[in-house]
Amino acid sequence: MKTRLAILALAAALAAAQTPVNPQPAPAKPPAAQRPAARPASAPSYKDLRYPPLGAVEIPKVETFTLANGMKLYLMEDHELPVVNGLALVRTGNLFDPPDHVGLALITGMTMRTGGTRARTGEQLDEQLENIAAGVESGIGETSGSVSFSALKENTDEVLGVFKDVLTAPEFRQDKINLAKTQIRSGIARRNDDPGGIRQREFTNIVYGKDTPYGWQEEYATIDRISRADLQDFYRRYFFPKNTLLAVWGDFDTAAMKAAVEKLFADWSVEQPPVPAFPKVAGTPPRGMYLAVKKEVTQTFFAIGHLGGDYRDKDYPALVIMADILGGGFHSRLFRRVRTKMGDAYDISADWGGNYDHPGLFEIAGSTKSLSTVAALQAIREEVERIRTTEVTEAELNTAKESALNGLVFAFDTRAKTLQRMLTYEYFGYPKDFLQQYQKALAAVTRADVLRVAKQHLHPDAFVTLAVGNPADFGQQLDALGSAVIPIDLTIPPPKQEAAKEDAATLEKGKQLLARAQQAAGGVERLAAVKDTTQVAEWQFDAAAGGLQLKKTDRWIAPEILRQESVSAAGRITAFFDGKSGWIASAGGSMLLAGAPLKQVQGDLFRLYLRMLLSDRIAGRAVNATGDATVEIGDATGQIAQLEFDAATGLPRKLLYEAVTGGGQPVSVEEEYADFRAVGGVKVPFKITVTQGGRKYAAVAVTDFQIDTGLKPQDLGRRP
Amino acid sequence: MKAWRLCTILLPLLLPAQDLKEFEKKVTEFTLPNGLHFILVERHEAPVVSFHTYVNAGSVNDPSGETGTAHMFEHMAFKGTETIGTRDWPAEKKALDAVEQAYDRLEAERNRGPKADQNRIGVLETELKMAIDQAQSYVEPNEYTRIIEENGGLDVNARTSLDSTEYFYSLPSNRIELWFLMESQRFLRPVFREFYKERDVVMEEHRMNVESRPNGRLLEDFLATAFAAHPYRNPGGGWPSDIVNLRRADAKAFFDEYYVPANMTIAIAGDVNPAQARRMAERYFGPLPARPLPPLLHTEEPPQPGPKTAAVNLAAQPLLVIGYKRPDQYHPDDPVFDIVSLLLSSGRTGLLYKELVQEKRIAQVAQAAATFPDGRYPNLFLFFLAPALGHSVEENQKALDDLLARFQAAPVDEAALRRVKTKLRAGVIRRLAGNAGLASLLATYYAGFGDWRRLFTDLAGYEKVTAADVQRVAQRYFVSVNRTMAYIAQPPAAAAGGGRQ
Repeated sequence: MKTRLAILALAAALAAAQTPVNPQPAPAKPPAAQRPAARPASAPSYKDLRYPPLGAVEIPKVETFTLANGMKLYLMEDHELPVVNGLALVRTGNLFDPPDHVGLALITGMTMRTGGTRARTGEQLDEQLENIAAGVESGIGETSGSVSFSALKENTDEVLGVFKDVLTAPEFRQDKINLAKTQIRSGIARRNDDPGGIRQREFTNIVYGKDTPYGWQEEYATIDRISRADLQDFYRRYFFPKNTLLAVWGDFDTAAMKAAVEKLFADWSVEQPPVPAFPKVAGTPPRGMYLAVKKEVTQTFFAIGHLGGDYRDKDYPALVIMADILGGGFHSRLFRRVRTKMGDAYDISADWGGNYDHPGLFEIAGSTKSLSTVAALQAIREEVERIRTTEVTEAELNTAKESALNGLVFAFDTRAKTLQRMLTYEYFGYPKDFLQQYQKALAAVTRADVLRVAKQHLHPDAFVTLAVGNPADFGQQLDALGSAVIPIDLTIPPPKQEAAKEDAATLEKGKQLLARAQQAAGGVERLAAVKDTTQVAEWQFDAAAGGLQLKKTDRWIAPEILRQESVSAAGRITAFFDGKSGWIASAGGSMLLAGAPLKQVQGDLFRLYLRMLLSDRIAGRAVNATGDATVEIGDATGQIAQLEFDAATGLPRKLLYEAVTGGGQPVSVEEEYADFRAVGGVKVPFKITVTQGGRKYAAVAVTDFQIDTGLKPQDLGRRP
Repeated sequence: MKAWRLCTILLPLLLPAQDLKEFEKKVTEFTLPNGLHFILVERHEAPVVSFHTYVNAGSVNDPSGETGTAHMFEHMAFKGTETIGTRDWPAEKKALDAVEQAYDRLEAERNRGPKADQNRIGVLETELKMAIDQAQSYVEPNEYTRIIEENGGLDVNARTSLDSTEYFYSLPSNRIELWFLMESQRFLRPVFREFYKERDVVMEEHRMNVESRPNGRLLEDFLATAFAAHPYRNPGGGWPSDIVNLRRADAKAFFDEYYVPANMTIAIAGDVNPAQARRMAERYFGPLPARPLPPLLHTEEPPQPGPKTAAVNLAAQPLLVIGYKRPDQYHPDDPVFDIVSLLLSSGRTGLLYKELVQEKRIAQVAQAAATFPDGRYPNLFLFFLAPALGHSVEENQKALDDLLARFQAAPVDEAALRRVKTKLRAGVIRRLAGNAGLASLLATYYAGFGDWRRLFTDLAGYEKVTAADVQRVAQRYFVSVNRTMAYIAQPPAAAAGGGRQ
């Protein structure tokens, strides 16, 4: 799609430059349909058709002004329908988000409109505008911000007034900031539900680099950190007249509209230093074969490629033709091979993505049934290799060029399109004759050019290949394609808990509380001497949590080897972790411990009862008192938990922490300890009540607990 | 009084009758002797033109056990003709016949059921595959679409709905004759080539849109639960086990029965010369033989005995759809349903958004749709709710029930009613702006109601809707016996396994 938009965009000024003045050129000869219809009954052939010259494209007149405050104004009359529209384009973008506030531009753009203006709340604007079937909307994307309006002609003045207030005096009321955050947080929670969405997000982020402004994304933590003051600061920095282009088009008189806009914006005079350039795309993108595991899908959604280019690259026209032949439509090689011949895809395409001011993405994308994953990827590789090593045919070149050139006229099919394109060129500082050169270049592309640019710009060795799907159904695994598979962890990071403030006094108090608990549980030396433990427990989940029953056995060898076995009606699941890596196994087979299950086992190991008590002896852990009988225990990897002690006995009473549900939602977990019994000189809780998100979740009854039975790592690591 | 009068003068000038009169001047309509109807709209703003072919046949017309047939034919319509897409038609025709014979032999063996000889089936499958490859060797792949794309064709596509099948694209207006040729040829001389490869593609489409997406899975199960007898219960693309057994002859039979000129409407909008277009229509579409109209669908959905619920277990965030049975688009209450849906969910003043999204913040999305999955037969008034993070399906369902109870209890605010009527009027105006949208609307309205003017005259129907009508319709239809609910929930095991252990 991007390519097509780009072509359309580029075509406009071009035709503007070469359009004949004569609006109705007479056809050189009568069109075919006017010839006598006396023909044999056989099928007419498209090859016999002769087309009259294309009618003239009427280039609308756009008047351009610069207002006293420095804002640029573009006015275009269009009297077809009794409506008036407007668009203010502002130089800003989410590329300016600070790394720990990703989402700042997004929320600013949303709440400029929804948070109301100084004079009126967002709800008042909703009613006022919808009563007259009008709209005012705002938003901030990657490289631009906008406020737009649409009005029926007779309401133009009223709607312009609201538009101006939203642009110049947004109030950012707190209730709508909260609403925007709820919406975005819900979106984050849903972002792993659709495999196509995962593919697009991960591919883009990996290729640009996940630690760069082009590749990072909103997280709970970055959203939570954003305050009203942040939004107001962001708004103030970028929304000022000299940084704004305003276009108005529709059913009005230019002189009257100019006067109205001048008067309306006369009092908007804020100034700011010029906005700096957007950050550059930088860094070496990681090449390789990536896999994001998504169960419960029957297709693999894939993307293959690397950085693309800029529209101004002299090779851009040839690259557009190349990508079109490779995967641009029904006629393309990938469509014909993977869809038409193999029947292995519905959706398959290639695109040489350009951008106005930074490289876009070269991307081959599609989806295929799980079983044909490797076959489809292999076919794509071969097609890339073919276009890099042999010239395309004359027929292929013709089809690609004809469809690009003949389709250019759609760039002018509405006046609004032409105006918006003009605005875009102005915004990105493109030269006026740029497009003429582009069309000429497009028409001049040769087979040799296509081969040259494919060789020069496509680098299969540097490809990022991403598959989102269920490898259990792949048949042939991805490593059959010759490179190691890098797993992608889709786990959504829970909101980062800010560690409690600590100082010498709270650390000292934490130490004391923990020491008292160690004493109560059997003495620190006894605890530290334990070499292994085996705990068997019956879990009864609450009805609301599924009502399942399971028997769970945890075997631990100090310090960091853990094997967990759960047996329920649904079967047996075993997980093993040696402190660095591990596996998880069920009746369906076993796999490397990664993603959410890995995080869970790591968390369980961090929170193991005995290890919690010995936290002051484990390197990297900090124990900090946060209350009279509460300590917070954290480690360098970001694990964090709170331990609450019984004031009377000194023993642990409650363990509190944040976990992630199977669906990726963060949830607060509370474990309450009771029924302490002595086992080999150590006091251990035999009854544990688990609460999740404030609701009862499970009752755990320990049926057996043993210490130092001589567990061996090799036994624990044995796969079932 | 003066102020009030001023108001009426300032009220939108969009009186439907006036707009219609203006608009009619640009429209030319005619019917060919074979029954094919054309609607042309002149818009000479730019040298481009959009085409829309609307066929009064969709997935509801799929024969039982052969769901997906209408959709398969739609795919076949891009495969070319006896002259387009082949390297040697006589040889290809023989090869295609051989494919069918091989398939017949395979089916004959399979039909023996438990007595079938598995070895023989294996052999016959291989023979079929070879026959398919043989036929494939005569194909000029995707020539039909390539011709259109080379000529600048934009958004070349088609869609199969429950009630209809539509084919559409746009061209530079000097190439208008190419459309007449290509569109008439695909309905005059379809050859159904590459049927079995395309069947695989259609299966991939199903996997992509239904099986791999939570929304797709939810809606598929929702409809199968809501409808007991009427074919609205079937997924538009068919059931997978039906699709993989479709035969070329099934698509051919469907085409012969339903692609009758009098059962089709064509709309053309843009830079078109009506007299010239009419001559081309006669020349290119005249040869389509007149045939009798297909039979009407007679399966009626029996009255719903009580509320129904379906749970879809998926490791995905929760979603909830609720539908209430409503009559078809020809029922006098139809405009009231449209008004009700706008009152409930248009813009930011819609009651669902206001209450569930904005105030209570328990939903990320809360929307209503007046008609689902399609409108010619009794269907559903739909509610779609995506709970916000940390909020449940139950909470959303209760909040919706509570809102609907209040909606039923008191007549709607007059200001809100006036607001949605204004939106409807403005909507008609804004829809006239693009060629492709306009062609689609005119064809759809003519095919659905027998007159494209309904696009304008509907407004008069909306104007008449009162607050009492809204309340009456809400009370009559939003009742539990009419209700079907489906939701996505984490499977219990995943919930238990995921949270902690």
